[in-house]
Amino acid sequence: MMKNFLRSLAALAIISWSGLALAEVAVIVHPSASVDSLTADEISRLFMGKSKSFPNGSPAIPLNQDDGSATRDVFNQEICNKSPSQYKAYWSKLVFTGKGTPPKDSGDDAAVKALVAGNPKMIGYVDASVVDDSVKVIHKLP
Amino acid sequence: MNVNNTQHKKRGLALAVAGVMLSPWAQAADVNISGFLSVGGGFVDDENSIAYGGYDDEDLTFDKNLLGLQVSGQVNEKISATVQMIARSNDDYDLTAEWAYLTWQATDNSKVRVGRLRTPFYMFSDYLDVGYTYAWISAPQELYYLPFNNVNGIDYYLTSALGSFDTSFQVYFGSFNDDFVLTGISATAESKNQMGVAATIGRDWWTLRAAYHQTDLTIEFSDFQLSETVSFNQFLGQLQASPFADTVSKVLVDEDRTTFAEVGLNIDTGRFVAAAEYVEFDVEDSFLSKNIRHYIMGGVRAGDFLFHVTSAKSDDELATPEAGIPASAETAPLIGTLQAIAATRGEFRDTMSYGVRWDVSSGVALKLQYDDVDDNKGEQKVFSVALQSVF
Repeated sequence: MMKNFLRSLAALAIISWSGLALAEVAVIVHPSASVDSLTADEISRLFMGKSKSFPNGSPAIPLNQDDGSATRDVFNQEICNKSPSQYKAYWSKLVFTGKGTPPKDSGDDAAVKALVAGNPKMIGYVDASVVDDSVKVIHKLP
Repeated sequence: MNVNNTQHKKRGLALAVAGVMLSPWAQAADVNISGFLSVGGGFVDDENSIAYGGYDDEDLTFDKNLLGLQVSGQVNEKISATVQMIARSNDDYDLTAEWAYLTWQATDNSKVRVGRLRTPFYMFSDYLDVGYTYAWISAPQELYYLPFNNVNGIDYYLTSALGSFDTSFQVYFGSFNDDFVLTGISATAESKNQMGVAATIGRDWWTLRAAYHQTDLTIEFSDFQLSETVSFNQFLGQLQASPFADTVSKVLVDEDRTTFAEVGLNIDTGRFVAAAEYVEFDVEDSFLSKNIRHYIMGGVRAGDFLFHVTSAKSDDELATPEAGIPASAETAPLIGTLQAIAATRGEFRDTMSYGVRWDVSSGVALKLQYDDVDDNKGEQKVFSVALQSVF
């Protein structure tokens, strides 16, 4: 309870702070993907490079939106628990040691949706308002 | 001669990796270029006291700049090549390949790397040159002082999830040959049969780390003066001719078993950050002291600012090359000289550091730091500033 309360408070703070009161973010995969829902923790592990496949074992390719996208900032704060600077520092540690590569910057809401709609291995996140039948929503935030 | 050889080796390796990346079958594949930058300077409040952190001047000097470029290219689905070149202002911006290696992604969670790698001594070793990734301008120098940063060899790196914990395991084998300066004395070091393991376990906001390394180390010091009339080499010659000739091996660093052990804790909750590390570095049967060093750091984030404070301590154990020499009026000067030599190698220092990091924008941080240093050789207050970036 307390955790949810604090999480909501944090979400509120972020949303009010970045003026994104209407932004609802949907995590999407290809309609034929063999996964119907993922927890925030499972999504975070994929996007933080800690796991490379969906819980059922099929390979996953996470896609980022471009640096500076409001959807990306909400997603990273909510799912990965990192501000843009902390997110950059986290990945710099892995990149400059050859120990990991961040999800590819793949454009805006429309570009990510189009990529995910075309590849059953991909997982991305978009503003919920752009979701249509070409993709499947497996998680919604906040 | 040695200098040239090492330089040639570094360049040769870098060229080889660059060659791999420029070869026709790599051109179609992904080539990633990323970089980091640190521009900074500082001054001390008393230039007649000790130098600290590379600063010994009461005027602000900007001589701690570095620019790093990393290029990595996919050779095929399983193999990639990486080279990291760094130009440092205190090295006349000579471009050197700090790292150059081939990576074979053995499985999703494990890889084997061959080439010139960073030695995973400390918690921050891997990204020590990328100041943007941590709070300080540079990591506490009581611990982060070893000149042997890199090793030529092979390593194996494995990550796995143990229940809800994330773990990593790294093991390597290799050697190095390097020139460096140890408190004003230039030297050449060579390691053989160097091996080490580093392991981490963590969850969400904390990570525990432990590492152990060992090697057979040889250090050749240039001849330096022990007193106005006697040089180090002359003294060794006299010692060799004395009844205590076997003491020579207790002074020299000649294929001596060297060990390095570390434990560390890193915490980042988003609001609070903390880190602590403890290390012991020991070169057996030499005049070098056993280095015992540790620090503890705590900090808090407020918006785009991170305020932090660190207490670091050096508490070395002096070597005893005079052990076994019977005390008498005749041997007193010899014992005195040996003890004096050992005493020059110990560091006894308490440092309190206060700093602030301001994340100006994503990828750019401005840092200020104040170090209050209390050393057995003197006191010092150091003010420094740096702009650090990744791109």
